[in-house]
Amino acid sequence: MSGKSPRKDGTPSRGPREAVWITGLRHLVLLFFVVLAVYPAINVFSISIRPGNKLQSTDLAIFPENWTFDSYVRLFTEEPFLTWMGNSLLVSLAVTVLGVGLAATGGYALSRFRFVGRNTSMLAILTTQMFPATMLLLPLYVVIARLHLINTFLGLLVFYTATALPFCLWQMKGFYDTIPVSMEEAARIDGCSRWKTFVTVTLPLAVPGLVITALFSFMTAWSEYIVAAQILQDEEMFTLPLGLKSFQASMSTEWGLYASAAILVSIPVVIVFMLLSRYLVSGLTVGGVKE
Amino acid sequence: MAAGKIILRDGFAGILLVLVIAGLCGCGSEERTRIVLWHQMVVDERVVLDELVAEFERLNPDVRVQTLYKENEELRSGFQAAALAGTGPELIYGPSDPMGAYMTMGIVGDLSPHFEDGFLDGFTPRSLTWLADEKKPDEKMLVQIGDRVGNHLALVYNRNLIENPPQTTDELIALAIENTVDADGDGKPEQYGLVWNFIEPFFAIPFLTGHGAWVFEAEGSTVPALDTPESVAAMEFIKSLQSEHNVVPAGCDYETADALFKSGSAAMIINGDWSWGGYLSLETPDVDAVIAPLPVVSSTGIPMGPMVASKGYSLNVNVAEESVEHDAAIRFVEFMTSEPVQREFMTRLKTLPSRASLLDDPAITNDPTLLASAQQMQNGRAMPVAAELRAVWDSMRPPYQELMGGGISADEAAEKMQSSAENGIRLMNQQLKPDASVWLLRLIAAFATAGLIFWQRKSFHAFIRDWDKNRFAYFLIGPALLVIAATIIYPFFYNVVLSFSNMSLRNFQDWQVTGFQNYGEVFAGADSKFYMILLKTLIWTAVCVVLHVSLGLLLAVTLNGPVKGKAIYRVLLILPWAIPAYITALTWRGMFNLDYGAVNLIATKWFGLPAVNWLGEEYNALAACIITNVWLGVPFMMVIALGGMQGIPQELYEAARIDRVSRWKQFRHITLPMLKPVLLPAVTLGTIWTFNNLNVVWLVSNAGEPADDTHILVSYVYKAVFNLYQYGYGAALSMVIFFMLLIFSLLFLRKTKATEGVT
Repeated sequence: MSGKSPRKDGTPSRGPREAVWITGLRHLVLLFFVVLAVYPAINVFSISIRPGNKLQSTDLAIFPENWTFDSYVRLFTEEPFLTWMGNSLLVSLAVTVLGVGLAATGGYALSRFRFVGRNTSMLAILTTQMFPATMLLLPLYVVIARLHLINTFLGLLVFYTATALPFCLWQMKGFYDTIPVSMEEAARIDGCSRWKTFVTVTLPLAVPGLVITALFSFMTAWSEYIVAAQILQDEEMFTLPLGLKSFQASMSTEWGLYASAAILVSIPVVIVFMLLSRYLVSGLTVGGVKE
Repeated sequence: MAAGKIILRDGFAGILLVLVIAGLCGCGSEERTRIVLWHQMVVDERVVLDELVAEFERLNPDVRVQTLYKENEELRSGFQAAALAGTGPELIYGPSDPMGAYMTMGIVGDLSPHFEDGFLDGFTPRSLTWLADEKKPDEKMLVQIGDRVGNHLALVYNRNLIENPPQTTDELIALAIENTVDADGDGKPEQYGLVWNFIEPFFAIPFLTGHGAWVFEAEGSTVPALDTPESVAAMEFIKSLQSEHNVVPAGCDYETADALFKSGSAAMIINGDWSWGGYLSLETPDVDAVIAPLPVVSSTGIPMGPMVASKGYSLNVNVAEESVEHDAAIRFVEFMTSEPVQREFMTRLKTLPSRASLLDDPAITNDPTLLASAQQMQNGRAMPVAAELRAVWDSMRPPYQELMGGGISADEAAEKMQSSAENGIRLMNQQLKPDASVWLLRLIAAFATAGLIFWQRKSFHAFIRDWDKNRFAYFLIGPALLVIAATIIYPFFYNVVLSFSNMSLRNFQDWQVTGFQNYGEVFAGADSKFYMILLKTLIWTAVCVVLHVSLGLLLAVTLNGPVKGKAIYRVLLILPWAIPAYITALTWRGMFNLDYGAVNLIATKWFGLPAVNWLGEEYNALAACIITNVWLGVPFMMVIALGGMQGIPQELYEAARIDRVSRWKQFRHITLPMLKPVLLPAVTLGTIWTFNNLNVVWLVSNAGEPADDTHILVSYVYKAVFNLYQYGYGAALSMVIFFMLLIFSLLFLRKTKATEGVT
């Protein structure tokens, strides 16, 4: 536990220094939850290096006897793992761009304008999430087939964006709501067009919202399985969740491959999060919000 | 110069656009006939399959075969959906047990007319599945050609511990007692004599047959016979292994049994042919696995016989006869079931062939494993292909689990199995007929449409008036709404109609609107568990969401202060979100294991707490699901809260500090209200998602364990639709879920004024 005197953390301070015990408490809470968060993840890692294809083990050892990186080697040599990773990256990044773009503009309309059908739209957007996905399987296949989207990434792009948008729209609307209108009014008086005001004044202040929206869109596409299984028919076009699923079979799942793939699948997410998370750190955007 | 630049720039953008579109479409032209095969061969089998497909394509240069792996249940539900939509793969490969259902649904074609004379004579009778349409019982159709027979259970024993396999159940019990070792005398053996999967009734079948019982009244019958003296005797025998002889563990699912045997902690395991390869190739000095036929039941003299199924190829009914695809598909099936191909599978993957001529092949008779497998198969009984078998499994599972959990006696278990099997089969075969309520429905639909048109007309005028004023807003929101509408409108209305229909196993393609019966079944069905499950769903949702939000906020507040190593904490804390939930949910299931799970081991060894039977008791299992889901969901809320906190002006805190306002009050009166617009969407949608979160409950409770008690409404829908084919009922239940969530959202949004926003 870090009992050292509290220090400023490189980011603008939250005022005077905190008492040592409060900082200590922060570390205590964080460490506790880090252990909780990491332990099951370590278990997954443990499965990935366990010989003999076992999901469960009878002891608590993290490094099992005769541990091996065999599964990782097999992923790259025997399975088209890199192709799946590439497909997933392409689809997820496209969904992120489209999702953030549509949510950034749509959310702004919902936050700033009282147009006809606004309340209905907001509720209607929500209702799309209320139907159990199980029952959508049948009609979904019909829609995908009729739109000739079988075996295309375009199909994934459309459906994933539609899945991610309801949350993203509401989230962006929430973020715009926290930004005072007075700043936009000032820009308007200076002669900026509505679009220019939105892009140059409002959007930069909503960066944390954009980051969350991007992360959410990315994760939606990165981990989605049901729609992908309906659309993609070619192993060469598989995204990672489909690839992972191909190691799974009732009572004869390849646990080593599955777990090692799961570990590798989470690495890009961690990288994306690290890249984006500096925008979730205190102080970077706060300056502009000052009135 | 400037123009050149623009052309250059636009040209570049154009090329980029074309590339992106080409990449997204995955276009490619092909001259050869393409056929698609959906199969469920696992990783090792796929290697052989790919080689053989390449060989076929070499011999048939005009055909390209595209193989696609789908997990068993995925294949079934996916094929049903695709066939209903009039498309789908030309061929499917899998076990024979769904054939009865496919036949009833009318989604598989007849293979028999398309082969040369004599081709079918070489197959063992068990490997050809002939079925007749109920309306034309004399015209039998060949719906599947098997390329192998098997999928059967046998006894696997560890030669380090047991010299010779047991011939009778008395010997089995004696050997098991000898090999159940409790060295430290804590009452919990370190090594068990015998293990198997206590969850799936498939594993109880050999005990039934050995006692002279069978799931149906006779071969070919679909009347369940689970409450007979023979089946009670079988279940008493199973129970005695646990309660009287103490040679099997208290709770044991597939993965636990597997891990126990592989680590040398179980002397014998009952498992299927799919698992033997893994046992034989174990590279550990502790285990020397040998396969043997299951013993003879001492009290009856009947050998324990597992269910035996064939696996093979079936033709999609949508493939037009005379088409090139049809011809290519038949050629492919001929090739894949030919003798050389079967020998290849047999020698490399130890599968039993479906061609009679191969059964005496030295490859079988010289291989102890294949020989034992073939012997075991002789004692086996063919797995029924009738759709009713699914209802039987469903009805056996809960009482079987209760029996093994010690909750009920063998008599009670048998009685429960029988009555619930009868009920399940009745529901599954139910054919609703349109009743008077159809007229009421039409009336309501007409009024609703009229009302909608009238209301829309008013809104439409308002919209026209508003257009000039708010054109910018429509321009901004339009694309997003279009994308959402394009994907959801059709599925939504499809489900609305379906919920008033009789779509089910027996009315799969020819379903019609029948009225309100499905809704009646939801609220007042004979053994409707609706209200109980609703209660569990509410507990599940409320506890999960409250913990998601409060823990997420706690972590965000903690992280949002001056702490060293923030970046590292943050990354570690989002790991539960980053790792695919399927594997982490199953990891949690393993951690909740009664004897070997980390949760109990840590609680008992480090803290001296009593062990909790997490997965074996009704509300504990729900708690286990909740803990898993909270673990999965907190990082998301934490990230949202962190993002929201960046927009709160620091001056507010500074002013509060000067006024010596306590931290709690700062949180209560500054942080929370300022976070509200950002948190509200997450809370609203988080509630909706949690309410409908099928995966976690399904995976952690292993589809409803114990005794089918751990369900929330969506997992119940899933079961009804996928196990009993009650599409209409499932759609009605989905509509009920939909309206409950709609009402919740309306009330919640009104109360919190979430739609209003900036003022």
